[in-house]
Amino acid sequence: MEYMSKGIKEIHDDLKSGKVTSEELVNESLKKAHKVQDKCNAFVTIIDDAKGVDVTDSLLSGIPCGIKDNYSTKGILSTGSSNTLKDYIPFFDATAITNLKNNGAVIIGKCTMDEFGMGGTGTTAHTGVQKNPWDLSRMCAGSSSGSAASVASGVYPYATGSDTGDSIRKPAAYCGIVGYKPTYGMISRYGLFAFASSLDHLGCLTRSVEDAAIVVDAMKGIDKKDMTSWDSSNIHLYESLSSDVKGKKLCYIKEICDPGNYPDASEETKQHLDNFYKTIELCKKIGMEVSEVSIDKKLLDALGSVYNIISCAEATSNMSNLTGIIFGPRVNADNYEDMMKKYRTEGFSSLIKRRFIIGSYVLQAQNKDRYFNNAQRVRRLLVDAWKDLYKEYDAVILPVGSGPAKYLDDSKNKKFTNSNILEEHLQIGNFGGFPSITIPNGFINNLPVGVNITGNCYDDINVLNIAYALESEMNYKGQIAKEVK
Amino acid sequence: MDNYVVMIGLEMHCEISETNTKVFSGAKNEYVDVPNSNVSAVDMAFPGVLPVVNKKAVEHALKISMILGCTQPEYMYFERKNYYYPDMPKNYQITQETKPIPVGIYGSLKFDCKGEEKTVRINNIHLEEDAASLDHYETFSTVNYNRAGVPLLELVTEPDIRSADEAVAFLETMRCIYQYAGISEADSRKGQIRCDVNVSIMEKGKDESDPKNWGTKVEVKNVNSFGGVRDAINYEIERQIELKENGTYDEMEQQTRRWDEDTFTTIFMRSKVDAIDYRYFVEPNIPKYKISNEWKESIRASIPKLANERKEIYMNEYGLSEYDSKVIVKDKSISDYYEETLKLGADPKISANWLTSVILGHLNKTETTINELFLTPNMLVDLMNMVSSGKISSKQSKEVMYKVLEEEKEPKVIVKELGVEQISDDKTIRDIVIPLLDEHPDLIEDHKKGKNTFDFFVGQVMKATRGKANPSLTSQIIREEMDKR
Amino acid sequence: MVFTEELVDVLADKLLIGLTREENKMVLEEFESIDSDNKKVCEIDNIENVEPMTHCLDDFVYELRDDEYKGDNEDIDDLLSNCDDYIDTEIKVPKVVK
Repeated sequence: MEYMSKGIKEIHDDLKSGKVTSEELVNESLKKAHKVQDKCNAFVTIIDDAKGVDVTDSLLSGIPCGIKDNYSTKGILSTGSSNTLKDYIPFFDATAITNLKNNGAVIIGKCTMDEFGMGGTGTTAHTGVQKNPWDLSRMCAGSSSGSAASVASGVYPYATGSDTGDSIRKPAAYCGIVGYKPTYGMISRYGLFAFASSLDHLGCLTRSVEDAAIVVDAMKGIDKKDMTSWDSSNIHLYESLSSDVKGKKLCYIKEICDPGNYPDASEETKQHLDNFYKTIELCKKIGMEVSEVSIDKKLLDALGSVYNIISCAEATSNMSNLTGIIFGPRVNADNYEDMMKKYRTEGFSSLIKRRFIIGSYVLQAQNKDRYFNNAQRVRRLLVDAWKDLYKEYDAVILPVGSGPAKYLDDSKNKKFTNSNILEEHLQIGNFGGFPSITIPNGFINNLPVGVNITGNCYDDINVLNIAYALESEMNYKGQIAKEVK
Repeated sequence: MDNYVVMIGLEMHCEISETNTKVFSGAKNEYVDVPNSNVSAVDMAFPGVLPVVNKKAVEHALKISMILGCTQPEYMYFERKNYYYPDMPKNYQITQETKPIPVGIYGSLKFDCKGEEKTVRINNIHLEEDAASLDHYETFSTVNYNRAGVPLLELVTEPDIRSADEAVAFLETMRCIYQYAGISEADSRKGQIRCDVNVSIMEKGKDESDPKNWGTKVEVKNVNSFGGVRDAINYEIERQIELKENGTYDEMEQQTRRWDEDTFTTIFMRSKVDAIDYRYFVEPNIPKYKISNEWKESIRASIPKLANERKEIYMNEYGLSEYDSKVIVKDKSISDYYEETLKLGADPKISANWLTSVILGHLNKTETTINELFLTPNMLVDLMNMVSSGKISSKQSKEVMYKVLEEEKEPKVIVKELGVEQISDDKTIRDIVIPLLDEHPDLIEDHKKGKNTFDFFVGQVMKATRGKANPSLTSQIIREEMDKR
Repeated sequence: MVFTEELVDVLADKLLIGLTREENKMVLEEFESIDSDNKKVCEIDNIENVEPMTHCLDDFVYELRDDEYKGDNEDIDDLLSNCDDYIDTEIKVPKVVK
């Protein structure tokens, strides 16, 4: 009997009734973890001495899970998939980890990621390239690549992720699973290695909307250690789930979804957009109203630039604590500057170094207004545009990415006009702190694709319910990647 | 010297000592000897930590802003100042810049410099965090993070100061305000006060209100005592005048120098072209905070009586001289000591006299503070009561005082040991006087005839009591007993 | 703004990062694209009158931390457990010359 392919509620019921023990689940999960590690390279650390725990009324108690490696875990190696922290063993847990542990979660492994969350391909971890379990020649996307691959492969029902641009929601789509980041501040950021503080969200990757609700219920909560966290004790995501979405109003954005915008797009992209419109029809079928709306293309075109500038600027500052003095492997040199420089030069991957330089450049006194402040201004314009939509609509529904998972060999990926808008629009969810969920909505070339639903701040229940209703009309809930199976 | 006007601006850093915890972390804010004993994960910038603003530190910052007549912002923001140095674990400092505005802008302070009233305009005052402290050894340095994150107030003046004396008088006044307002001990021996000094010179007669005439600004960093401020300013004035006189002043670039305590000179660090670009940006982890009017009003109402107000009371209500009043209020702990004696019933003038004539001299001589003084306000009041009740003479009380300060024993113990306690008991003296008169009827007769034999009897009583008899009481009893005969 | 290899090296040096020639070249290319993207941003109507969005949630209401000590001091052993070079309870660094 395979338990790790099931949903949380079902596993919990069997734990409760004694059909299976936490210890047995842990063993099954560890076995699968090693298998997935061999094929996909999904883990920085597999915790082979993980132990089962007592089962309580908490739905997560006794059930294995994976943790993205940028979560601080007490006594467990936490590297952020970076050489700069390759030996770092924190002495404290991230608040979200404390909350999960209090709910009886059992950590099985620490999942690979793009180094410190920067990249979006799942290929920049210090432990090597992460492969997609559905097709090993494809990427998982990132940065929560290991989390997505391991959940999709049925190592456990859920893993935590973090999302600064689309780092939960895109890998989820590429791996055919659910990726949910709640409203900014619903889950404390304390103990999550900072990438871009004003954009960083925590969340989870699961195989169903129901599981996503259960997991975030356990992770969330106001935290005295994070001033941007807020009290959500009156929000019960799992208990609030309902597939009654009659009369809900959705919109999608013409400038993003219209195939006419992408005349030279690949066959995969065309199918992906076709498939998206099928999902729209499904929404209507179950009683929701869906409208096409327009957003100033100039704003959408600026999206990627805004994200790059803000995220690089915050990142270069956030990661200046990485010098090897207090933690990280110490490098020897005659003076402190050379010591720090050597550590940083050797420790960071090329991509991160380049981003730091861009981030530093846009903050320089003579450049700041033109680059950084203007990026923050456009951020506001985009967020305001979305908030205007939320005055009329419950959520915005959009396709995730330009198709299924891309090839690891970039030369096989077709470049086309305007593709950046399709690839980057999920970042708006980070700009505004909006609750945002990706669910699988079909297959193209035997590879999963996803659709995203993003709602207004604090309106997580609405977003989850729309996703929940839609999920129940499709056949992708709980699916496991074939390649590894 | 006479041909030039000196323009001095100060940047005064003062640690807030009167909070329980640090400004952005919950670690203790307390001066301790054991390195790294008051440190939280936040203070050492472990991956994932976040700043959480201490309300009390903000309250103190707003308080000093109000005292200096500054404008407080509607919303409080913090900024990151990015630069690499081993004493800064994050490699950025959380501080406040001028836009968005800090806790205070545009105030002024009137102060007394050698009897003349001066005014300095305050450009701004802001709240920030202190850095760790470094210790230097022969071949390496060590870092102690106890000081990292201690709340720090930085006050920036306009270049309104014209001499080293004025600069020191200004700093003394500010120190006094910090102490009276209950914000800081402001003890430079504990490193709680540190200054940067800006000095330039201009030819006399030019328009001082036009910055173009102010000359080339030289910033002297890291001056850690008031004496150092005086010396650094005087050194810079001389150095700059010399440059003027030998015709090389115009070649001097705007620059930063540091004060070297060993050689009593300033040493070139960098010129303006090499100025560090701190790449400021708003701290995303601290949401803007609305400072409510109610809070502002309650802070304003909580401002205690400051030195000037106490001085007025001492002069007008207690009848002290202006000089004595000034001397007492100059140091809050002395003024507090003084007021404590009044609470215990001391006569204001006599108590003030003890302080100014004996105690302050003793503190000066021994280089100690009044808080370290063995003589408590209680003991001082005891001593004063012994004089007023006639137990000891006022002359003897001085001797007792010196012994108390020297031997650190209570006044009543010293009085016993010295045996200076007067015999003021009527019966004891009368028992000596009566037999004495009985022995000398002839001298009583002489006395009645107008011959002076009175002093002889007084002398005999003193002899019999080894000088301890209360002289006026003795005279009175002899007179009474003679009249009876 | 003209981007040059030297400028990139100066920027990298201030961040205490060393770049290979190849990395330097990549940064230069990226600068070109950042700059052309930024031109689009600067052309957005009325952009200069928009208030920069500095935080994720606008008008977020929260309380400052009460100044109570609640045991946040960490054990020295924990603080130093990931440090490769310390002496007694202090972290060692190469001699810092002022």
